[in-house]
Amino acid sequence: MDSPIMANKKWTRTKAERRQELWRKIKKNKWIYLMIAPGLLYFFVYKYIPMYGLIIAFQDYKPYLGITGSEWVGLDHFRRLFADPDFWMIFKNTLVLFALQVCISFPVPIILALMLNELRSRAYQRSIQTMIYIPHFMSWVVIVSISYVMLTLDGGIVNNILRALQFDQINFLLNPEWFRPMYILQIIWREAGWGTIIFLAAIAAVDPQLYEAAKMDGANRFRQMWHITLPAIRSVIIVLLILKIGDVLELGFEHVYLLLNASNREVAEIFDTYVYTAGLRQGQFSYSTAVGFFKGVVGLILVVMANWLAKRYGEEGIY
Amino acid sequence: MASWKQMCAAFSVGVSLVAIAGCGAENESASSEGEKPSAEEGPFKFTIMANLHTAEVPEKEVQHLLEEATNTELDIQWVPDSNYEERLNTAFATGTLPQAVYMKNQTTYDQFKDAIRDGQFWEIGPYLDEYENLKKLKPEVVENTMVDGKVYALYQGRPLARSGIIYRKDWADNLGLEAPTTIEEFAEMARAFTEDDPDGNGRDDTIGLTDRNDLVYGAFKTVASWHGTPNGWGEKDGELLPEFMFDEYIDTLDFFKELHENGYMNKDFPVTSKPDQQALLKNGTAGIYVGSMGDVLTLYSEASQINPDLEFDVHNYVEGPDGEYNIWAIPGYGNLVIFPKSAVQTEEELKSILSFYDQLMEPENANLIYWGIEDEHYTIEDGKAVAIEDTQRTEREVKPYQSIEIGEAETNGRYLGQSHYPVKLKADELEIDNESYLVHDPTTTLHSPTAQTHGERLQQIINDATYQYILGQTDLAGFEQAVETWRSQGGDDMISEYNESYNQQ
Repeated sequence: MDSPIMANKKWTRTKAERRQELWRKIKKNKWIYLMIAPGLLYFFVYKYIPMYGLIIAFQDYKPYLGITGSEWVGLDHFRRLFADPDFWMIFKNTLVLFALQVCISFPVPIILALMLNELRSRAYQRSIQTMIYIPHFMSWVVIVSISYVMLTLDGGIVNNILRALQFDQINFLLNPEWFRPMYILQIIWREAGWGTIIFLAAIAAVDPQLYEAAKMDGANRFRQMWHITLPAIRSVIIVLLILKIGDVLELGFEHVYLLLNASNREVAEIFDTYVYTAGLRQGQFSYSTAVGFFKGVVGLILVVMANWLAKRYGEEGIY
Repeated sequence: MASWKQMCAAFSVGVSLVAIAGCGAENESASSEGEKPSAEEGPFKFTIMANLHTAEVPEKEVQHLLEEATNTELDIQWVPDSNYEERLNTAFATGTLPQAVYMKNQTTYDQFKDAIRDGQFWEIGPYLDEYENLKKLKPEVVENTMVDGKVYALYQGRPLARSGIIYRKDWADNLGLEAPTTIEEFAEMARAFTEDDPDGNGRDDTIGLTDRNDLVYGAFKTVASWHGTPNGWGEKDGELLPEFMFDEYIDTLDFFKELHENGYMNKDFPVTSKPDQQALLKNGTAGIYVGSMGDVLTLYSEASQINPDLEFDVHNYVEGPDGEYNIWAIPGYGNLVIFPKSAVQTEEELKSILSFYDQLMEPENANLIYWGIEDEHYTIEDGKAVAIEDTQRTEREVKPYQSIEIGEAETNGRYLGQSHYPVKLKADELEIDNESYLVHDPTTTLHSPTAQTHGERLQQIINDATYQYILGQTDLAGFEQAVETWRSQGGDDMISEYNESYNQQ
């Protein structure tokens, strides 16, 4: 369709003509545009308008004076954040938990999906899939309380078993060293099954002829998985990875907050919990906005970097 | 928000009136005339935000009776007590505070003092004398709520010191123990309850003390009082200093550390919630509970369902190393209610609200929200109220409304409670006995801007270090390090601000 002559003609069209052309296209696809409208409106109202509120990070915000009436303090809140001795601790904790998520809990659904795919019986595969979805529908409160009841030293079942087997009891809840393993195991338990959905869908779309050809060449099941399935779903994995990084620093506020206590704060306090305690519980609106703002900027940088890297290595990326 | 609701209400009233008028073949002039007088004569409507101590919002029977008695229409926003601060701050930040706002406790009130000083809330002091009941509020407590010598809040009275010990009398009898009168005896009881098989079942399945993740209303602060630690702040060499800079605080830390190390208390107490803490007592795992002695009634009514043979007793007097008994006191109020100017726009409106609270302090109304409906939720015996045994019912229908009470039995004339459970009566007596040994917090009426903005975060440093010390995760040097951090991050300012404010008084 894009013959050189047509392209040439485009160059010569006037502005008015182009505008007309645009209108014609919009009119032609008016239903599609109409369908996009609610989505755009949603993003505008709930994502862009609230950004106006970020202004209070540069003010000494007093609710009754409002954004227009509050005093400007420039970068004071950011200075306070960077000067806060807890800042690096929080920054480190946030990044460590993030890295754990990306390195440990992210690959689990992929491995699970590959394993499920190898099951021969469809019915068996389905029922296992359903079973591992279920934890996703439990709230963090429930999951954390269950693990609390199981792990407590005051009659928790795990420690009772350890005692019965003559092992030392382990203080899971109050020992800072156990915070990260607990955090990541709970995430895997809750999310791994749910995460397999997309990967299984991607695997289902792989052309069966490829497998047949590989079999002819003498590839065993492991080789088929390695050379066909994995490369076929690579782009899905990368897109999801970038999206995951987009959630950077969204580590599940509720989850961490529930696990947080006096003795593991040094490894468990993250930006989200800090914003919550400083902002909502102690009423320091401007300061916590500044903290949240900083977190957002770090997240943005990470996503842009990840996308750039993905493109650099010949993948599609997300934009 | 309120005005939007009012507009909606007015609009819907208008629409329905037009519809009715249309049917009657009358025109719109009738409807617009008919609307105004009814709005003026009708009950006074206003919104309240209050904390909810029960799991569910209450049934409205009591509220309807109260509305009838006071000619009001209340819109009460119940907020679960556990995330009250959060909702309060959110409502404040978005300018959607209702007309009457309960503060939950002194700490949250302190946070709002800044806004109060900025004139965001009505000063009610000058009006109080116009109201027959409101002017009866105890002046010494009202004084404790003042900001820069002005009154902004109505208070909800609380006994000054309710803390003491609740323990398993039957266990103590089995082991031949008396109620502990010294700290050593207390420790001995905790040990014996843990090691000497107090329930006689031949198994090592009991512990002494049950505690929770609360350094104030849990066991810690009360035991600290016994050791002679000041209440919040204390005077040392003519200077006000926070409690944790006193040796007695460290003694308390060592005391708890020992209890914890030996397993005489629940190991995971820093992550134990109040229901879990109480469950350990109720199900016969633990034998000592330090906290509000009045709780013995509900604890007993639930525990006796599990184990009908169990006996509780209460006790308050525990001597410290100096041979004296001390107990920390609250400033005489629990909750407070304040009135934001953003929601209460005119003096007239304020007066209507105050008049509601004035009526709320009349004995009939005070009884209604505290005890419920006579012969339904309680009966009178010797001029005292006896609540029905069905605590679940009162919890559903009455208890939530207790959190809007103003004043206390002495000032609002409601019935005192009578109980068929003698231990509860003893608890009530010991609460009064406690008043001879009170330790007050000297900073209640003092002013420190740093404490207002950073107080809670700074306190967290100390709380964390306190737990870590007891758990053996840090030593004395580590605790002192935390105190240094506290000082350098604003604590020093707090000390000098409080002392300056103290010397001015």
